[in-house]
Amino acid sequence: MLALSTIRARWAGFVGSFVALTLGVGVLSATLVVFVSARPAVPPRLAGAAVIVQSPAAAPDYDTFVEYVPWSSEVALSLAHALSGVPGVASAVPDRSFYAQVVSSGHPDADSTSGHGWSTTALAPYRLAAGRAPRAPDEVALSTRYGLAPGAEATVLTATGPRQWTVVATVDGPGLYVSDASAAALAPGVSAIGLVLAPGASASTVASAARDVVGPGGTVVTGAAREALEPEAVGRTRWLGTQLLTVMAVLAAFATIFVMASTSALNAYQRRRELALLRALGATPRQVRRLLLGEALVVGTVAAVLGAVAGATAAPAFGDLLVRASLEPAGFEPRPSPLALVPAVVTGIVVAVLGAWAASRRAGRVRPIEALREAVVDRRAMTALRWVFGGLFGVTGVGLALSTPAVSPSSSMTPAIFSALTLIVALTLLAPVVLPPVVRLLTVPLRSSATGTVVRGSAVTAVRRTAATAGPVLLTVGFAVLILGMVRTMSPALGASDARALDVSTVVTPSSTPGLSDAAVDALPATVLAGLSTSVFAVSGGRAPAPLDALGVDPAAVPAMGAGWKVSAGSLADLTPSSVVVAAGAAAAAHWRAGGTASLILADGEVVTLRVAAVVAEGSLPVRVVLPRPVVRTHDPSALTATAYVRGATPAEVSPALAGLGAEAQDPLAFAAADDEDRLVWLFVLVMIGMSVGYTSIAVANTLVMATGDRRRDFRALALSGATRRQILRMVGVETAVVVAIGTAIGALVALPALLGVRAALASQTEAAVSLVIPWPELAGVVGLCAVLALSAALLTTGRMLHRS
Amino acid sequence: MTITTGVTEAVTLRSVGRVYGTGAAAVTALHEVSVGFRPGTFTAVMGPSGSGKSTLLHCAAGLDRPTAGAVWVGGVDLRPLSENQLTVLRRERIGFVFQEFNLVSALTAAQNVALPLRLAGRRPAPSAVAAALASVGLADRGSHRPSELSGGQQQRVAIARALVTRPEVVFADEPTGALDLRSSRHVLSLLRPAVSVEGQTVIMVTHDPVAAAYADRVLFLADGRVVDALDARDAGASSAAEIAARMARLEA
Repeated sequence: MLALSTIRARWAGFVGSFVALTLGVGVLSATLVVFVSARPAVPPRLAGAAVIVQSPAAAPDYDTFVEYVPWSSEVALSLAHALSGVPGVASAVPDRSFYAQVVSSGHPDADSTSGHGWSTTALAPYRLAAGRAPRAPDEVALSTRYGLAPGAEATVLTATGPRQWTVVATVDGPGLYVSDASAAALAPGVSAIGLVLAPGASASTVASAARDVVGPGGTVVTGAAREALEPEAVGRTRWLGTQLLTVMAVLAAFATIFVMASTSALNAYQRRRELALLRALGATPRQVRRLLLGEALVVGTVAAVLGAVAGATAAPAFGDLLVRASLEPAGFEPRPSPLALVPAVVTGIVVAVLGAWAASRRAGRVRPIEALREAVVDRRAMTALRWVFGGLFGVTGVGLALSTPAVSPSSSMTPAIFSALTLIVALTLLAPVVLPPVVRLLTVPLRSSATGTVVRGSAVTAVRRTAATAGPVLLTVGFAVLILGMVRTMSPALGASDARALDVSTVVTPSSTPGLSDAAVDALPATVLAGLSTSVFAVSGGRAPAPLDALGVDPAAVPAMGAGWKVSAGSLADLTPSSVVVAAGAAAAAHWRAGGTASLILADGEVVTLRVAAVVAEGSLPVRVVLPRPVVRTHDPSALTATAYVRGATPAEVSPALAGLGAEAQDPLAFAAADDEDRLVWLFVLVMIGMSVGYTSIAVANTLVMATGDRRRDFRALALSGATRRQILRMVGVETAVVVAIGTAIGALVALPALLGVRAALASQTEAAVSLVIPWPELAGVVGLCAVLALSAALLTTGRMLHRS
Repeated sequence: MTITTGVTEAVTLRSVGRVYGTGAAAVTALHEVSVGFRPGTFTAVMGPSGSGKSTLLHCAAGLDRPTAGAVWVGGVDLRPLSENQLTVLRRERIGFVFQEFNLVSALTAAQNVALPLRLAGRRPAPSAVAAALASVGLADRGSHRPSELSGGQQQRVAIARALVTRPEVVFADEPTGALDLRSSRHVLSLLRPAVSVEGQTVIMVTHDPVAAAYADRVLFLADGRVVDALDARDAGASSAAEIAARMARLEA
């Protein structure tokens, strides 16, 4: 009863918590709905194959993706033959994918970038809509959605260039199909064999029989386990999306707890006279604690439910955004489900109660006599518990910062962020000790004026109010410094400036295609630096082959491309059409030496042994293996070029040659600005900073409105002492500015250890000097925004209060 | 509820001392004060600022713990009681009226009156609450919040609340300090029947001689010690003037 009455009567004190929690649960709900909806699925193309045999898995790489080493054509053929003999199997179909895009009116179809052999239509199953199956090399069967009837001509972009094929059939499913013989020529390697079962055959029986046939040479999957066959690109996209969702959810939870804890503390503090009265009237400490927790529960439940509804409503739009940012696979549709929403609501309620927990314990300890006290001086704001936890978090934060150099730069973000977070918590806990001396120091120049003296005194004594205002600013600035600093320091160091390093005049990138075909590259004038992107696997002893990203480069062009490579063993001059250049880490893992040999499995499943001409320092090579271009083209007919660099011709000169080839020419600066990975990173940055600024604005505005409202007596005393309205406003403004400045200073300090840790990690990884880059303009923007928010809240509230009284 | 007189005192203080702060900055608010309050009496505690009268009240009511000496309320020694036990004692045996901030602003007058009973876990009958409000002349203002009531009305609601639990002792700290003359008289006229009719004990701190004249006995404090006592019945009709004269002598 008391809880509800208090909330109804003093609702202004709960608005901040309510808004923060609703937002937090909203974000959490939206991310959870997207996360739950974005589950791997069996590719529809293979859904009709109840049992599928996968080629063996490669050794695990630094990320969580499993790659599969393809079978060569011969191995796949004999395996399929053996499998078709298993009882219950109607047919065993090797599944092949090669690069192919239909070009309609000059634009490549971005939705479908792969073609398959005709026999794989039995695996979906897709049926013939019109015409007959393709037989000759230039015959193709297309999905009905292209609107082409049998007999028409279709332009298809392949890895070698545009081809004119004749449409001989249309199919009732998506995709492009050629004869099995053509498919085998375009994609010799096979990663999966689908088994179409005879009617009445049991999938599990066939699967165990298949396992006996296959042995260790592959994995047999049925049912939901077939999700593993999802194309890697789709899986990677979803993984990227999950990273962003995780960051958002964690940040939302953290910021919400932070805001709720500080608003609860302030709320309880402002009500201490009333709480003391309750104690005097006979409320036990437990009853007072229960009151505050009950209020938090009520506010929390309402806010959490509201937030969940808002999040579920926003989820479809959110999903759309993610697909457009290439963070979720195309065609992704989030579906709100209890599995996502119930945890979000429960988390929201738990956070609400947790946030009020500490405040409720303090409130329970209020002594009844404080109902009679007048002074606003904060006594004993520091408790033993705060000392202990503050120290603990501080040590953990610094420790995490020190451990950052020990991890690889790509995963150094996690300990860095946690370091910053723990230090923020530490400083918030230690605020009553840390703030007064800092305030005194910063406000020394204010001693000369009358209002300045008041500012100094009130900021120092009203520690809670100062801490509650400086805290959110601290959080935002700390985060901004950390994230912006990390991004800016990492980009130049990790070679995102390939173009700048290579000194080129034009950069050619794919447009609506997954890569540039040979025709596009050959059409480029002047000097061209380009390589074919492919995946190879290192063969080393009895272990599973390790996946390596590779580039196929013309041996004659290597010295030009490799101008920036730091060779640690061997020499680039020793390069021949049958030798490779390897990165140091990969060489060490596979026990390869300069001058020795390296055995690799290429995309067609064949093993190739080449000589190692040189070993290059990790980080200076753009991939892990550089192979001769002819070797790659022979063994991977679908290999495409990711980027081509042109020296000696401007984009204007290059563009005409690229018409209809799915490529576009840019100048290096425009390219660097539009770099996909940079773009992604910036997206993360914007989301994180946007969210922290959002929360800061709630926290700061709420704190200042609540705290200023409490100072009515102070202002009246000031006015009676002779201060004009202008002077009082100036006093409030200066105090707010001082507090924001303190939050900024401490926030920047908090992020520094983590940032230095990241810098050290980069320096050791790239074995080069890395300079710390702090993006001052963006930082100034963030600080300015915090200051504007704080000042508006404080001055507007004060102005309104002075006006009324 | 009648209390047998003469056997136990309602409130007893023995050599109670209260020191604030430590070392050189220590302030002695009470200095070995020993005083007893008989049941069914109305005592006023007076003294100049800084005399320790409020501190005396707080220690007697269990709101503050003395640094020396002992306090008994209703025969119960307060020294060994835990915070929870003190709270329960306050709930059952003590009523409070402060100078200001007596009411929970979020609750209506009726809810405020019912509050101590609800905190004790009992559900008060609406008629009991209504009767309490009626006894202070505010039967029609039960659903109003404190912000909608005048200072005098708020104090009357506070008294209704203090009396609704039928406590043995009512402690009042300057209950008329913030009120005008008419409201003061009204408030004091509500405290008097608690003693004479209900047999409760009232201990009131005040600086107003007129208010003190309502009491059976007046204690005078100065510098943390009881320096004078006046039995109002002895002084006769001009007790207020006599009280004022004694006060003036103290402050001279």
